[in-house]
Amino acid sequence: MIRLQNIEKVYRTETVETLALNSISLDVPKGEFLSIMGPSGCGKSTLLNIMGLLDAPSKGGIQIDAQATGNLSDKQLAQFRNQKIGFIFQSYHLINDLKVLDNVELPLLYRSSTAKERKQLATEVLEKVGLSNRVKHFPTQLSGGQKQRVAIARAIVGRPEIILADEPTGNLDSAMGNEIMEILINLNRQEGTTIVMVTHDEQMARKTHRLVRLFDGSQVQ
Amino acid sequence: MLTHLFKLIWNKKKQNFLLIMEMLVSFLVMFAVFTLIVYYYQNYTRPRGFEFEKVWAVNYQSPQGMSDKDSIAAFNQSLKQLIKSMPQVENVSFAASNIPFSMSTHNTNVSHEKISEMAHIYAVDDEHKDVLNFNLRSGRWFSRADQGSRETAAVINADLAQKFFGNGQPIGKTIDFEGKKLKVTGVIDDIKDKGDYQGPDNNLFIRIDTSNQAWIGAILVKVKPTADAAFESRLFKSLSNVIRNSSIEIEHLADKRVTKNNLTLVPMIILLVVAGFLIINVALGLFGVLWYNISKRKGEIGLRRAVGASGGSVSKQLVTEALILSTLSLIIGLFFAVQFPLMNVFDLAADTYYIAIACAVAFIYLLVIICSLYPGRQAASIYPAVALHEE
Repeated sequence: MIRLQNIEKVYRTETVETLALNSISLDVPKGEFLSIMGPSGCGKSTLLNIMGLLDAPSKGGIQIDAQATGNLSDKQLAQFRNQKIGFIFQSYHLINDLKVLDNVELPLLYRSSTAKERKQLATEVLEKVGLSNRVKHFPTQLSGGQKQRVAIARAIVGRPEIILADEPTGNLDSAMGNEIMEILINLNRQEGTTIVMVTHDEQMARKTHRLVRLFDGSQVQ
Repeated sequence: MLTHLFKLIWNKKKQNFLLIMEMLVSFLVMFAVFTLIVYYYQNYTRPRGFEFEKVWAVNYQSPQGMSDKDSIAAFNQSLKQLIKSMPQVENVSFAASNIPFSMSTHNTNVSHEKISEMAHIYAVDDEHKDVLNFNLRSGRWFSRADQGSRETAAVINADLAQKFFGNGQPIGKTIDFEGKKLKVTGVIDDIKDKGDYQGPDNNLFIRIDTSNQAWIGAILVKVKPTADAAFESRLFKSLSNVIRNSSIEIEHLADKRVTKNNLTLVPMIILLVVAGFLIINVALGLFGVLWYNISKRKGEIGLRRAVGASGGSVSKQLVTEALILSTLSLIIGLFFAVQFPLMNVFDLAADTYYIAIACAVAFIYLLVIICSLYPGRQAASIYPAVALHEE
């Protein structure tokens, strides 16, 4: 589903050149739940951003669903992200000025869907993550766990084939973290969604199909 | 998307309130400025209704000690003959001091039946029409034939004729003026004798006869193209010899017109400069707010990019948001602005206000687009991973 070939990412400033990712090659088959672990600053999030086409590699190629993404325009990349990938972030990235339902509808706004369809799909996924009673709340009125469930609902509302989760349980206590993990596992099992999750939590990582470890930008496992 | 943006703006109404107010005040200022510009422009493009080139104005006072009306009339008649006899002179007219482009005005209420109007009163002689080349619409200019008639002959302009008589025939009708009856002998085109930028006025021309010779304060001399400074000097000397113990001043109407126009233009230019500074401030404020919004909303921009927005759609969203905010402020502004034509404030034509409203609306939209385009493009250029990381 996702193929990374010799990915290298270099951050350059006027005086310093930092190698964030060094020759990473990785295949993530369809339906796999993969976790990426490693110490802070080892390049986990950079790798996830590159996989999600949010950042461009300095070298190497990315194929998603057998399609090379290197030559896609900004508009095509945006469309690709919208159709194929759902994102979950550690800090949720909800828009505080929009109600829960409107936050969840967000990816559908960039598709040709009607307001009625958007509302129906968003309501369905909110029900799925157990938040049907919080539809009209603002994010600031929710707990951390609830916010992350809204973020999951937003990630899956467009029925993407891939979900990229950057430390989705990082800001939550263990009970909430387990709840979120359950939702992700169910998504993977029931819908066959391919999930790549960056985590610091060994226990969470063990629940996934495969673990990749990074150290100083290189794959060590 | 539009509904989504409305929701976003509505949910941030407190933050947006000041921006809306800023745009509202800008609109109202621009409405005032455009009203003046449109009003002056409309007046400027109106026909002047008379000719001023090669017309000189001689300001003088009647000789002291001459109080008898017949003596004054005889003196003025001989003065006219003297000036007319000069080869460079085409025609001469005696008038009260409120000649075209002068600072003097004489206005009072005149009425016809139950309609009363404020009008400028001009006491002039029979040659006045030819000196200034007024265009007669109907009837005739007064003449010696009107001397001694029971009702004083008067000529009015088309605007006043319309107000008093509508589409009816004004010739031969009477107008009440200071307790006297005036008989309308002619109607001329509207004139712009107070400057090129002044609006239409009501004008009433009364024939000077022996009884009102004392009103005379100026002589209008239409000269031939050959008249030069040397002739002006000769004219001055000739008049000084005849009108003793009186200050005499010769001015060209062309120069008086420039002076009179400047009296309108200078305050207008000052107002435009002040408004210009205000608009620069508003533009900088708007630009600053939109710029600040982008840095404050980097996380949101990154998220939108992540879920499928292209750089172009982010830019478009920010510009559209600014346009929606300006539309909200314009709706409030329009409510106040349309009261001016509806309530006929300042007695200006309704179309002056409507054109000014259209110009002010277009100006505000243009300003908002200009001020939001660059921040919008900056937002579009933010890499999604960077925007999400900076949140």
